[in-house]
Amino acid sequence: MASIQIGHLLRAGTAGFVAGCSVSQMETPSFGALVRAPIGDNYSVYGLICDIHIDDDGLVRQLVTAAEVREKVIADSRINRIVPVEMSVIAVGYELGGKVSHLLPPRPPLSLDMIYLCSDAELTKFTGAGRFGYFRHILQAKDLPIGGLLAAHILEVKNKLNNPGWVERATQELITLLRDDYPTLMSVLGALGEII
Amino acid sequence: MALNFQQVFDRIREIGSGARARRETLEKLRQQALSLLDSWADKTGQLRDKIERARQADASLRCAIPLAEPLNFHTLPGPVSSASLTLIAADGSQIVPDRHAAVLFGLINVGAVVFSGRSGEAPQVLTDSQLSFDDEVVNWTDGLVALQRDLAERRKLLAISKEYSPPLVTLTDGPLQLWEARESNEVLGYEKALGEYLSVLSQLQERGAITAGYVDKPSSNLLVRLLEVAITSENELASLHEQHTLLGVSDLWLFDQLLQPGERSAVFALQARSKAVYQGSLALHFFYLNVGQAGHPKSARIEIPAWVAQNEGEIDLLHTVLLEQCAILGARPYPYILHRAHESAVVSFQEKQQIEQLLEIELRKSGGELGEISGKQSTKDSGTAGKKRYK
Repeated sequence: MASIQIGHLLRAGTAGFVAGCSVSQMETPSFGALVRAPIGDNYSVYGLICDIHIDDDGLVRQLVTAAEVREKVIADSRINRIVPVEMSVIAVGYELGGKVSHLLPPRPPLSLDMIYLCSDAELTKFTGAGRFGYFRHILQAKDLPIGGLLAAHILEVKNKLNNPGWVERATQELITLLRDDYPTLMSVLGALGEII
Repeated sequence: MALNFQQVFDRIREIGSGARARRETLEKLRQQALSLLDSWADKTGQLRDKIERARQADASLRCAIPLAEPLNFHTLPGPVSSASLTLIAADGSQIVPDRHAAVLFGLINVGAVVFSGRSGEAPQVLTDSQLSFDDEVVNWTDGLVALQRDLAERRKLLAISKEYSPPLVTLTDGPLQLWEARESNEVLGYEKALGEYLSVLSQLQERGAITAGYVDKPSSNLLVRLLEVAITSENELASLHEQHTLLGVSDLWLFDQLLQPGERSAVFALQARSKAVYQGSLALHFFYLNVGQAGHPKSARIEIPAWVAQNEGEIDLLHTVLLEQCAILGARPYPYILHRAHESAVVSFQEKQQIEQLLEIELRKSGGELGEISGKQSTKDSGTAGKKRYK
């Protein structure tokens, strides 16, 4: 599977970024998916989609008060009106000169940089590099639904890469990382129990 | 403190103390107006004659002229289908040249929306932005800009209508009558613009378009004025402009009482000075329409030209389409397509600044001459940070 363009960058920081796309482009990205923001020939930032957010506005709030929302109005709102779907992405690493690192990226992507859904090859390359170092970034993001996000990510790897050994090692690593944080460990294992 | 709140507060208390008495007086006048509406309902011929005599005595008379339907007529639309209809709406906005800015420019922006085709297809949204610069805007006044904006809206409607076949409805926000300054002859080019507007209207008629202007929360009291004419004695007609026996009663209130949800009023012709300009098939007519719900009436005035007013089928179609459009916005009914045309036309302050910056960059790049922002504007920009004029 080749990389699929899913949106453009709206705003960014070292720890993450937000990409936007129109509602009509929204079918491809999903919660927990690994995405890549190529910044130059040799440099890409990797992240996991940790929230997909659709803002309302005054008109949308008013439309929902009507007895029925007509199909034409729904199409108008989705195709013509400028209300982007926002995808929040937590940065989990980068690739520089062909080498993948699970540290935070040295600099974030820039406004309107294209964001791609990672191909199977990129997913293999990123998840196979190092020893799950990027889990740290996820576990430190206390505002995120950590268990759900990890479960969605591990499920993606499981389905696309068919590598049961990786799933087992990832689970072991999470248990190790969370050994002193029982409540989070239980929450993460509970979520993983749904997919393993 | 920029306001003398003590002074304002004294006045507010004064207003409050007279509120009950004013309410009681208004209530009596309202009952009188309702009773007059019933008693004169079928005397439309008599009323038309009296309006003619009143007009001869006072040419500035502005009121409703009853036609075939009784004054208190109200009806739901006839059984028509809007399925194959094309609905086009246009709205405009503008940037008025600011002589205090570094670059002198103006902009007329027209947004248009077309509802046609299958129900699941998105409507078409079109925007026309006409930028004018320097010498081209030296004589622009608020009035001229408003006139050019209105004319641009109507031109756009005509241009789009040529791509579709009837049944076709074109809508604009506000009266059908072209913007008119109190002193129209003060606005350069008014006569020319008016001529072109009348030509646009005639071409819309030739295309078979049902043309209408939607006046939300109308403030004119055309029916109330008609009732005042009705009860004015013949020898007082010459001083009609001083006779306001039902002052305070509004058309809006009367029709909120009269019309059930979805009902329209009788169709009236408009008696106004503009009657001399809008003649024959272009003569201005109107009806009121309750687009609200049970217990929450909301009357709008719909202005139409004579060619629509004289065609019952077209009135039914317009009536149906407007109810459908208003229902889309639920609790605050207003035609959705007009709101979308407004959304696509409106120029934000940020967009104005962007145009200004782009112009400045281009002028600098090409060696043009840039003016300077005035001291007054500069001081306003810096001195009022965090303090905004109330809008």
